[in-house]
Amino acid sequence: MTDSINRRRFLKVLGVTGAGAAAVSACGIGPEPTERLIPYLVQPEDQIPGKATYYATTCRECAAGCGVVARVREGRAVKLEGNPESPINRGRLCARGQAAIQGLYNPDRVPHPMVRNASGTFEAIDWDGAIQRLSAKVAEARGKGIVFVTGTDVSTFGDLVDEWLKQVGGRRYSYEPFGFDALRAGNRTTFGTGSVPSYDFANAKYVLSFGADFLDTWLSPVEFQNGFTDAHAFDGGRPAAMAKFVYVGPRLSLTGMNADEWIAARPGTEGILALAMAQVILSQHLARVPADASRLVALLSGYAPRAVATAIGIEQETIVRLAREFARSGGGLAVAGGMATQYANGAEVVAAVNILNYVTGAVGSLVKFGADMAFGTASTFGDFVTLQDDMKAGRVALLLMHGANPAHSLPGAFEEALGKVAYKVSFSSYMDETAAACDLILPDHHPLEQWGDSRPRAGVTAFQQPVVQPVFDTRQTGDVILRLAGRTGTFKDYVQGKWGGLQTRGRGAAANTADQFVFDSLAKGGVYGEAPSRPVRLADVSKLTFAAPAASAAASQQQVIVFPHPVLHDGRGANKPWLQELPDPVSKIAWHSWVEVHPDTAAKWGVATGDFLVLGSPFGAEKFPAWITRSVRPDVLAVPTGQGHTAYGRYAKDRSANAFALLGKQQANAYGGRDFLVTATARKTGEHRKIVTTEGSPRERGLGTVEVLGVARAKSLRPNDHPFHFEETPEYASPAVEWWSEQQREKTELGNYKGEHPRWGLAIDLSKCTGCAACVTACYAENNIATVGEDLMQRGREMSWMRLERYWLTDDKGEPQGAVNSPMLCQQCGNAPCEPVCPVFAAYHTPDGLNGQVYNRCVGTRYCSNNCPYKVRYFNWYNYAERDGKYEAWPEPLSMLLNPDVTVREKGVMEKCTFCVQRIRGAQNQARLEDRSVRDGDIVTACQQTCPSEAIVFGDLNDRRSRVSQLATNPRGYHVLAGLNTKPAITYLARVVAQETPGHG
Amino acid sequence: MLALPPAVVYGQQAPTASQRYQAPIVKDSGNLKGPRQPIFFRHDIHAGEFQIPCMYCHYSAAVSSEPGIPSLQTCMGCHLYVAGGTRGGVKADTAAVRAEKAQVQQLRNGSRDRKPPEWTRIHALPGFVRFPHMRHIKALGPGACINCHGDVQGMAQVYQVSTLRMGWCVRCHVERKVTRDCTVCHY
Repeated sequence: MTDSINRRRFLKVLGVTGAGAAAVSACGIGPEPTERLIPYLVQPEDQIPGKATYYATTCRECAAGCGVVARVREGRAVKLEGNPESPINRGRLCARGQAAIQGLYNPDRVPHPMVRNASGTFEAIDWDGAIQRLSAKVAEARGKGIVFVTGTDVSTFGDLVDEWLKQVGGRRYSYEPFGFDALRAGNRTTFGTGSVPSYDFANAKYVLSFGADFLDTWLSPVEFQNGFTDAHAFDGGRPAAMAKFVYVGPRLSLTGMNADEWIAARPGTEGILALAMAQVILSQHLARVPADASRLVALLSGYAPRAVATAIGIEQETIVRLAREFARSGGGLAVAGGMATQYANGAEVVAAVNILNYVTGAVGSLVKFGADMAFGTASTFGDFVTLQDDMKAGRVALLLMHGANPAHSLPGAFEEALGKVAYKVSFSSYMDETAAACDLILPDHHPLEQWGDSRPRAGVTAFQQPVVQPVFDTRQTGDVILRLAGRTGTFKDYVQGKWGGLQTRGRGAAANTADQFVFDSLAKGGVYGEAPSRPVRLADVSKLTFAAPAASAAASQQQVIVFPHPVLHDGRGANKPWLQELPDPVSKIAWHSWVEVHPDTAAKWGVATGDFLVLGSPFGAEKFPAWITRSVRPDVLAVPTGQGHTAYGRYAKDRSANAFALLGKQQANAYGGRDFLVTATARKTGEHRKIVTTEGSPRERGLGTVEVLGVARAKSLRPNDHPFHFEETPEYASPAVEWWSEQQREKTELGNYKGEHPRWGLAIDLSKCTGCAACVTACYAENNIATVGEDLMQRGREMSWMRLERYWLTDDKGEPQGAVNSPMLCQQCGNAPCEPVCPVFAAYHTPDGLNGQVYNRCVGTRYCSNNCPYKVRYFNWYNYAERDGKYEAWPEPLSMLLNPDVTVREKGVMEKCTFCVQRIRGAQNQARLEDRSVRDGDIVTACQQTCPSEAIVFGDLNDRRSRVSQLATNPRGYHVLAGLNTKPAITYLARVVAQETPGHG
Repeated sequence: MLALPPAVVYGQQAPTASQRYQAPIVKDSGNLKGPRQPIFFRHDIHAGEFQIPCMYCHYSAAVSSEPGIPSLQTCMGCHLYVAGGTRGGVKADTAAVRAEKAQVQQLRNGSRDRKPPEWTRIHALPGFVRFPHMRHIKALGPGACINCHGDVQGMAQVYQVSTLRMGWCVRCHVERKVTRDCTVCHY
C-alpha cells in the first residue's frame, strides 16, 4: 500500500461521468468513437477500475483528529467516511470532515511555489529556487528572531518543527482562534493543571452545559455527539436512558437547541449559577460529596440562590430545582466552554463549574484528567499578543506560518504587525489573507496528500497517509523543513520511524518488525491506546473571587457576542461550496453572515429580518443583516464568524462581513484569553437584503411533520401502542382508497413486479438527531449534488436532496426551549403522488419500492414536484456541470471528486433522493457475485454512514428481522403527513423531551 | 500484482496446432471495419490464434463493472520476449513479418518512453447508463463477451457489432426473463 502511491495515476477516461462524448453520430450505430482510453504503464496493484479502494487516514479539518477512510476510484478521492476503528469518532464524521475533499480539489489552491517580486506581485518560482531562498533567509535571520506559527499541531510534524527551531534558535507558537485559554486557566486554579481533560458524555445521566457547544465546535464534536446521543436519546445506549440536557448561555447554538431546557443566564453569570448550584448541593446534602469539599462551604456561602438569582436573571427556585436534578441524577456532568469561557471572567466560570463537578464527584469519573486533549498545549492568546508586539518592535526577522490564518481572525492587529517583519513565509495550501501578505509561499500538500499524524489526546496517535497523488506542484512542509535542517531522508521516513517506536513491547507477544507494525497500524488508521487516568485534587480556592459583570452601560450600547460558525468555524470552511451552501443549523442561513436580534429589541428599533445593522465596537465596525429570533437574549446581539474574507478563493472572498473585525486589536484579558463579548453600538443603515434561508416556518404548527412526546408518556408506551394515528383515512375517502389499493394489488402481479421484492426503508430517530447537518453534506458528496450559489439559493433553487427542518419547541410563555430537527428527504412513498402525474414515466415505482427518477427520460415538466407534498424534488434550472458556465458547480479540479457511480444531471431534469440506489445496486451486485442474498447492514446510505448520533437506519422493510423493520414498528414511529395516504417508506421516531407538556404549536 | 482472473481456469483447452485458427495476413488495413488504432493491435491473433482468454488482459470484467484495459506492463509481459512475426502463417512472408515486428516495436518504444498508446474507445455508453460487466459474466459465463462484443476473436480490427441501445439491451433481458426495471441501469 505504502509505496504504490507514486504509481497511482489518474486515469481520466475510466469512470466517465456526465453525458460522455456528445458528438452527434453520423454513421449509424452507437456514439461517435471520440473518447480515448489511455492505459496505465504499470498496473497499480491495489486498484481495480470500477471498484473503490479505501485508505485509512486522519481528518485535519479541526484538531479533534477523527479517523477517516477515503474512498478512492481510479486514483481520485471521491468520498470520505468515518473510520470505525478510531476511538475518537467511531466511524462517524461531521459536515466539515465530509467537505475536506473540497479542500483537496479546491480550484483556488496555490498551484506552485510563489515569491513576491520587486513590483510587489507574486510570481512563480521552482521548488529548488524557493528552498534556497528560504535557507538564505534563515541563515540571515539567525539570532534576529525566527518564529514559526502553526495551528494546534500536536503531531510528529510539530515535533520536527520544534527540533528544527532548536537548531536555528527560533520559537514556535500554535494558534487557535477559538482557543481554550479559559479552560486551561480555570483548571489550573482549581486542580493545579493546565491541561484539557477528556469528557465522558456517554455515561452521563444529566448534562449541564455552560456555553460549551460540544455538538458543533467545542473540542471534539463528533466524539461528544456520539457519546451524548448514548446518554440523551430516548433509547440510546440504555433503555429509556434520556439523560436530561440543560443549556446555559445567552443564545441557543446548535448544541443549545438540543437542550431540554434553556437557562438564558445573563452573559458572564454562568459561573455564579454553577456556584449557587454547588451551594445548594452542599447545604442540602444532595450528593455524597468528597471529604475535602467541606473546605468550600465558606466560599460557597456567599452564593446562595437568594443572593445571586437576580444577578443571573433567573428565579431562585429554578436554581434549587436544577441543583436537585443535577445531584440526584447520580451522574451529572457539567461542562464549561464556548461563549461562557470567552468573557473577561471566563477562567472564573470554568473554576466554578469545576467546583460543581467536584462536589458531585464527576471529576475522575466523567471528567478524566490523564487522557488529556491536545488543545491543552496550544499557545494562549496572550502569548500571541506578545508575539504581535515583538513583531511590531522589529524583534522578528523571519516569520513562518503553517496551518493558521491569523490575518483573518486578528484583522488589523496582525496585519499591522506582519508589516514590520522583515521576511514572511507561508506554507498555506490556499491563498488566504495571511499567505497573501507573505513574501514567499511554499504550498503544503493537502492533508489527504501527505504523510503525518495527529495526537488528539493522550494515548491516541492517528496516522495520516496520502490517498491520492498531489493535485498540484506542492510539497510536504515536513520535507522542506528536513531539507532546511540539512537532514537526509523524507518526512515519510521520519514519521514512520517515529511510528515504529510506538510499538509496545513485552508480555511475550511475538515481536513484530517495526515495518510490519507501522503497516498494520496504518490499515487501522493509527495506534489507539488508553492513557492512564490521573487523579486531581481540589486546590485551595478560598481566595478566588467570582464577580458578576457590571450591567451594560448606556441604552444605545449593546452586548455583542461573536461566536464560531458551526461549519465554517473561524472561516477556514469558507472556501468549500458545500459548507457555504449548507444552511447554518440554527438560523438556516447560507452563504452570508447575520446578526441575531431578539424580537423585542427588533420591535424597539424597528428592525425587520434582512435589515442591515452596523455594529460599532471600540475596535471596528461591520454591517450585518438582522435575523430576528427568540433564540437569543433581548439584551444581546450575536454574530457568527466565518465570512468576510478578503482573499481565500472565489467561494470565500468578498462575501458578507468579518465578525472578527469587531474584536480587532484587543489585548489579552486577565487569564491570557480573548474576549468574544464586546460592547457595541447598533445602528440601522436603511439597507435591506433578502436573506438566503431555507427556513419555511419557525414553528411546526401542529401539521404532524414532527411529533414530540413527554418522557413519562414515552416510557409508558407498550409495544403495540400507536399514539400517532398514522394511515388515518377520512371516512368519505375510504371507498376511493380501497379501490385504489385493489388496483395496485393487481399491478403487483405483472412483469417485473411479480414475486418477492425488498421494500427499502429508512428509520430516523428524532430523539437522536441533533440537526448537525453532517448527513446533508454527505449526501452532496455521494450524489454529485450541485451547489448553486448565493443568487440561485436566494431564489429557492438549492438542490439539497436532504434538508434539515428545525422547529422550535416553546415553553408556556412562548420562549424557545430547544428545537426539534427533522431530516426531510424523499419519503419513497408506497403510493406516491409524484408518479401518476409524470407524462413520460420518468417518475415511476420500482419493484423494490423506490420512487425511481429516470434522468434520461425526464423532460422537465415539474409536475412531480408540484404534486409532492413533502417538497423534496429539485429541478436543474441550469447546467451546473457546464465548463465555465455561469453557475458551474465543479470548476476544475473540483470535478475530480464527482462520484463515478452517479449520473451528473443536466439542465431541465428533476432529481431527488434515491436512497443511494447506487449503493443498493452495488451491494446487490456484490451479493450476486458471492452467491448469497443481500444481508441487513450490507447497504448503508451516505446519510446513515456519517450520522454522528446514529439516528438513521436503512434496510428492507419486508425483512421482519431487519433493524429498520423493528424500528418501523416502534410505538414512537409515525409517518409524515400520513393522512394523505402516501404510505412513506420513512418512519420517523418521535422526539422525546424531558418536560412534560411539550408545546410546538 | 496482476492476479489472474478465474477466466484462465474456465478458459478453453488449448487446441492442437492443426485445429488452431490462423489469423490472416492483413495486407491492406484500410479496408477493415472499425476505427484505426494507434497500434494495429490484432485481437484475432491474440484471442483467436493464440487463444489468450479475454480476461487475461481485460482483467476486471468478472469482478467489476469496468472490464479494465491492460497496462503496458501486461503487454510487455509477453512482448519482452515475443518480437512478433513468428507465428505459423507469417514466417514465410517477409513483408508481413516486418509489418508485425514494427507494430510490436512501436509498443516497446511506448513502454520505453513511458508513453502509453491512446486507444480510440469503441464501446461507450452514455453517462446515465450503468453496465455492470461482472453481473453479466456471472450469469452467462466467461465466454459471454461474444454476446455483445461479437466475434472479437476473429476481428483483425475491432468494431462495434451491437447497437448498445436500450431496446437491444431490453430484448435480451426480456428473453432471459430478468429485470427490466429502469433503476437497475439508470441512476
